[in-house]
Amino acid sequence: MQVFKVFFRIIKKNLGELSVYMIIFLVLAVLLSSINTGSQYNEFAQTKSKIAFINNDKTSALTDGLRDYLNENAIIADIKNDERTLQDALFYRDIEYIVKVPSGFSDKFYNGEKAEIEITKVPDSISGVYMDNMVEKYLNTARIYINNMKNISGEKLTQYIQKDLSKTANVNLSAADAVQTKKYLYYYNYAAYSLSAILILGVCIVMFVFNKLDIKRRNLCSPLKNSSINMQLILGNLTLSLGAWLIIVITSIIIYRKDMFTISGGLFILNLLVFTIAMLSISFLISNIVKSRPATSAAANVVALGSSFIGGVFVPQYLLGAKVLTIASFTPTYWYVKSNNIISSLAVYNAQTLKPVFTNMLIVFAFAVAVLAITLVVMKQRKTVS
Amino acid sequence: MFSHIFLYKLKSIVRDRNLMFWTLMFPILLSVLFWMAFSNLTKGEAFRDIKIAVINDAAYKENANFDKALSYVSADNKDRLFNVTYTTMDSAKKLLKDGQIEGYIYFNNGLNLTVKNSGINESIIKEFLDYYVQTSSTASTIITENPSAIYGSLAKDLTQKVQYLKEVPAGNANPDTVVAYFYTLIAMTCLYGSFWGQKEVSDIQANQSYVGARVNVAPTHKLKVFSISMLAAITVQLIEIFALLLFLIFVLKINFGSQIGYIVLTCFVGTLTGVTFGALISAIVTKKEGIKIAIIIGGSMIMSFLSGMMYAGIKTIISRNLPALSYINPANLIADSFYSLYYYSGHEHYFINTLLLCAFTLLFSFLTYIILRRQKYASI
Repeated sequence: MQVFKVFFRIIKKNLGELSVYMIIFLVLAVLLSSINTGSQYNEFAQTKSKIAFINNDKTSALTDGLRDYLNENAIIADIKNDERTLQDALFYRDIEYIVKVPSGFSDKFYNGEKAEIEITKVPDSISGVYMDNMVEKYLNTARIYINNMKNISGEKLTQYIQKDLSKTANVNLSAADAVQTKKYLYYYNYAAYSLSAILILGVCIVMFVFNKLDIKRRNLCSPLKNSSINMQLILGNLTLSLGAWLIIVITSIIIYRKDMFTISGGLFILNLLVFTIAMLSISFLISNIVKSRPATSAAANVVALGSSFIGGVFVPQYLLGAKVLTIASFTPTYWYVKSNNIISSLAVYNAQTLKPVFTNMLIVFAFAVAVLAITLVVMKQRKTVS
Repeated sequence: MFSHIFLYKLKSIVRDRNLMFWTLMFPILLSVLFWMAFSNLTKGEAFRDIKIAVINDAAYKENANFDKALSYVSADNKDRLFNVTYTTMDSAKKLLKDGQIEGYIYFNNGLNLTVKNSGINESIIKEFLDYYVQTSSTASTIITENPSAIYGSLAKDLTQKVQYLKEVPAGNANPDTVVAYFYTLIAMTCLYGSFWGQKEVSDIQANQSYVGARVNVAPTHKLKVFSISMLAAITVQLIEIFALLLFLIFVLKINFGSQIGYIVLTCFVGTLTGVTFGALISAIVTKKEGIKIAIIIGGSMIMSFLSGMMYAGIKTIISRNLPALSYINPANLIADSFYSLYYYSGHEHYFINTLLLCAFTLLFSFLTYIILRRQKYASI
């Protein structure tokens, strides 16, 4: 098993570089698990966000009513009405939303003229959308009352609106089927990035040594059978991949403990295993194409980051454009993340619900086989050339 | 002497294809990926049909208005919101369990919705139902108080929605959120200047490179060689940053607003910080080049992540929980300088960030100097 031993001696020498990707990933994973970024997208009961309410108009029932309504559903911060202070507060996220009623608003509103409330919000925030919705709802309801009940008193107006808007449909979270988006979804999605980088880099580093012309010639005239060398190399590559897979799985068990020992946890682990095999196959192809040692880390980063960005690792798939997703479907990362998302949303596990998951796994596995076939052709070509 | 060293340094830097890739091609590639991944964010997602079920029992048939409203939003056209199945309670329960539908609606003491998890689709269903409940409450109040309203504009008022909000940006620039991601990308590229700083330090350390050994036996003062090489490194990195900026502005058509002068200044200061950061790492870590580069890549990735490169919300989280971290993270300082241009009409915050960056540059340079000065090699 000399070749196998050498394989890991080379890995050991380059462990520093390889472990960087593992460290990046672990830092991100620990950060993500402690702050649980997923909650932003998945909150039913909106948390109250902090807002500022500024009334430059005269005090009227309409604006007071709006203020009271917002005060019930958000926290109105006590803040000085001064542009600098407001900008500062928004910049440091002390408040997330500013409602500014311009002077003359109430009169225009009552007269049915075009009236606008100025709002400023933290870009890209879910809370901003909720707040927009709240203000719009209040004003639209007010408009209906004013249009249809001439001379409605201010007191009655606010009272009616409050009564209407406090009504909601009853939502039952069916307890038997309740699924929480699995906490480790983000962990396993991000794992795709670091696993890709580590495998491409690791496989390329070793194969680059063995593919050096002089060393290759030397190995060819050694008493060791060529098939034996290849077998040991394959064994080495497999051990490396499974090792990386195992580290990610064990770390997830340390972070999420017994949550991992569930059906969905098992499916995540299996899905990652299939993805690992596909990535190994791709790494093997890259190792046969890349010509110089520094180019390997370039290739590793471009492929790992590229597939992660368009495959939905960093930006959720439902936010990506249709064209991007079409391109992404040519990478195993896309299918891997897709299965993760499906597994995460499952409540029951039966043949019907699991079918898309296994179909996706099969696609990822097909990638592995197809890329391996291409690699063998490339190798054959090269052999005949040299 | 100056021009001689400077010119040859420039040549040797430009010919380092590996580092040229990292500092120039990689950011450009990444910007294309960003452009692909984020270009859809601001366009607003197209609605997908959300699959729901409605329990078609006697209680439901009593509410003809709801049926009307629902069929309006589930009509088979491109604005279709829901894909509705009319069925019985038992089969709806089964459909929900199997994940065939997102939730089911039934009447029992008012409108009820049963879902199994809470996500965007579920929120959309709830929003629709709430809107229906609230509007019908409004309608019934009006009809009791003023029955003649039915003959007026009530029906039209109920279905029409008027836009009352006007979004006002906090600062000067238009509020385009995607630009923020490109700010972090520029910040990362500035930090990638570290590669050159790293190279220049290796090139004057006799135990790190052959060039270093040669430089050490030359009669020229080491500080002089080093300063000129750093100058060359900064020149190249600046050119690369501006190439990236031009690419972003003219090829990807990213709109950076009107304050391009300040953006250029930040790029300049950020580059200084990046290059000196690399020099410091290279001086502290005495291991092989591969490890230095790995630390630089890893370090700048983590710093960029923390400044919001992969996920914009991280900025809010950090400024809420660990505000100090945002002040010691150079990537965040660079990105924040851009942000502050975007938010503020004045430039006070911009200059605070820029001054902090300058302070970091001085600190890095000073530490590098302390470590490198009077290094002697008894044997290599």
